[in-house]
Amino acid sequence: MKQSPQEKNLEAMLRSTKLVVGGFMGTDARHPFEVVEQDTAELERLGLRREQVARRMQELTERAKPRLGNWVEAQAGKLRVKSEDFKGVLTCPWPHPGVFEKRITTAERLDTGQKLSWTDLNIHMIESHGFFEGRGAFFRIEPGEAVQILFEGLTLSQK
Amino acid sequence: MAAFIVTILIISSISAALAALLVLCEKYVVNYGPCKITVNGEKELNIQGGKPLLTVLRDEKIFIPSACGGRGTCGVCKVKVLDGAGPVLATETPFLTKEEQADNVRLSCQVKVRNDIAIEIPDELFNVRQYESVCAGIEELTYDMKRFSFELKNPPSIKFVAGQYVQLFCPKYKGSNEEVYRAYSIASDPNANNRVDLIIRRVPNGICTTWCFDHLKEGDPVKMNGPYGDFRLSQSDAPMIFIAGGSGMAPFVSILHYMQNTHNNRKVKYFFGGNTPKDLCLDSQMKEFEESLEGFEFVPVVANPPEGENWTGETGLVTEAVQRQFKDLSGHEGYLCGSPGMIDASIKVFTALGMPEEKIYYDKFA
Ligand SMILES: Cc1cc2nc3c(=O)[nH]c(=O)nc-3n(C[C@H](O)[C@H](O)[C@H](O)COP(=O)(O)OP(=O)(O)OC[C@H]3O[C@@H](n4cnc5c(N)ncnc54)[C@H](O)[C@@H]3O)c2cc1C
Ligand code: FES
Ligand SMILES: [Zn+2]
Repeated sequence: MKQSPQEKNLEAMLRSTKLVVGGFMGTDARHPFEVVEQDTAELERLGLRREQVARRMQELTERAKPRLGNWVEAQAGKLRVKSEDFKGVLTCPWPHPGVFEKRITTAERLDTGQKLSWTDLNIHMIESHGFFEGRGAFFRIEPGEAVQILFEGLTLSQK
Repeated sequence: MAAFIVTILIISSISAALAALLVLCEKYVVNYGPCKITVNGEKELNIQGGKPLLTVLRDEKIFIPSACGGRGTCGVCKVKVLDGAGPVLATETPFLTKEEQADNVRLSCQVKVRNDIAIEIPDELFNVRQYESVCAGIEELTYDMKRFSFELKNPPSIKFVAGQYVQLFCPKYKGSNEEVYRAYSIASDPNANNRVDLIIRRVPNGICTTWCFDHLKEGDPVKMNGPYGDFRLSQSDAPMIFIAGGSGMAPFVSILHYMQNTHNNRKVKYFFGGNTPKDLCLDSQMKEFEESLEGFEFVPVVANPPEGENWTGETGLVTEAVQRQFKDLSGHEGYLCGSPGMIDASIKVFTALGMPEEKIYYDKFA
């Protein structure tokens, strides 16, 4: 597949360590668009859309923010979340104006102990670009894992 | 169809070649000649045009804070350009508010000096120096915080006001091919001017903190520049409340040293918040300050004391502890250092308790 210069630039940016340690692609040899396609297909198989995942992540982030880095229960007895912010901003690697606070939110299932961490930039990249990051990237979000941790126990209308 | 694809290929190759040529011309051929930068209406710098303002100023030993090394991704390098900078670029707008744009604020790494320009910078930036130092000690304070001591070599001493910060240079290392600068508040005694202590909290997968925690060793050479910032004690004698969390401890250690040095017995209550007792640190140093500073009291606050552990101190969020202990703060000054979320929450509590906004001090630059 022939890439346009813009696509080439984007891939180089996602693989570089300019914005984050290890880059957004980690050790993944697939093309970023393949990553997007395969993750979208996996989500579809699980009956969800990327917008729903991003919305849930945002909702949990908002729930945790006022507790200033301390755990708060998000689903009684099932899920807790905490959110920590750091000074400074991160920019989206796509070529558009997009600046996000450095904030890491972690959700933990109280029944299984499974944990998932994401940043505000992850929420944006999932919602706007369908990008869950490459395998091996520090903040790679596995769609299956995200669905298990974030949506378990929710009814269809709550998703 | 084949002819159509070939035509597209030819056109895109020509455009790519032209774009590359333009970049090369800009770099090697175009000569903007000598240009003049007027600083604060007084100082004139005669320089060769063609480079970004941030770089030109650095060559002239004027250090503008910057966190991304001039790649236009941090928004830290703001400078007022009164004249000669041309229109604001698309790379700058995400970082500039409407008010800043109206006020001629620009990202100095994005503004290329092509003609004479006039800029305005805070006077204190003229005191900023580049320092070569050696890492002289690393002390573990908590599971995710360390105190790093740097012995200054060249120049061998620094003059700073307690509360100011330095920009630490983070070199390339395995997994990070970029050189970056990050801001860290000075945590040492301003009288011990041959060294700089920093208290650094690990940020998961952070460029600079990963380097500090996993790569930096005692004896390593380290570069930094500074001092920057106007976070400092006011000259009044109003009672004060300090609030910090995590690495927000750093500037207050320096400020308390300064108060000790100047026999300042202003009343101050320092609320330091952590999730569990494991997030608290420098307990014995705080006790020493309590003994030597008549008006000083340290109040550690733990949000979630683990069951079974005998925690008798304040619990909940730091802001909740302040609300429990004070009903009226109209005569107090507030000093804040920590995460942006903690700063916002503390400002809300302070103002709700009557503290005037202009009496609330923190590093505005985030
Ligand atoms: C005036 C001032 C004073 C300061 N003083 C101190 C101080 O005394 N002590 C202190 O510890 N800090 C201080 N700081 C903060 C410090 O400057 C740095 O911002 C902090 O240490 C983080 O830097 P870093 O390079 O490690 O992280 P960065 O690399 O800049 O950022 C890491 C962030 O990137 C995100 N990220 C990483 N990888 C990915 C990925 N693959 N996908 C999505 N997101 C990702 C994460 O959200 C993480 O939060 C201060 C800041 C300022 C402005
Ligand atoms: S130096 Fe980072 S945006 Fe200019
Ligand atoms: Zn984007």
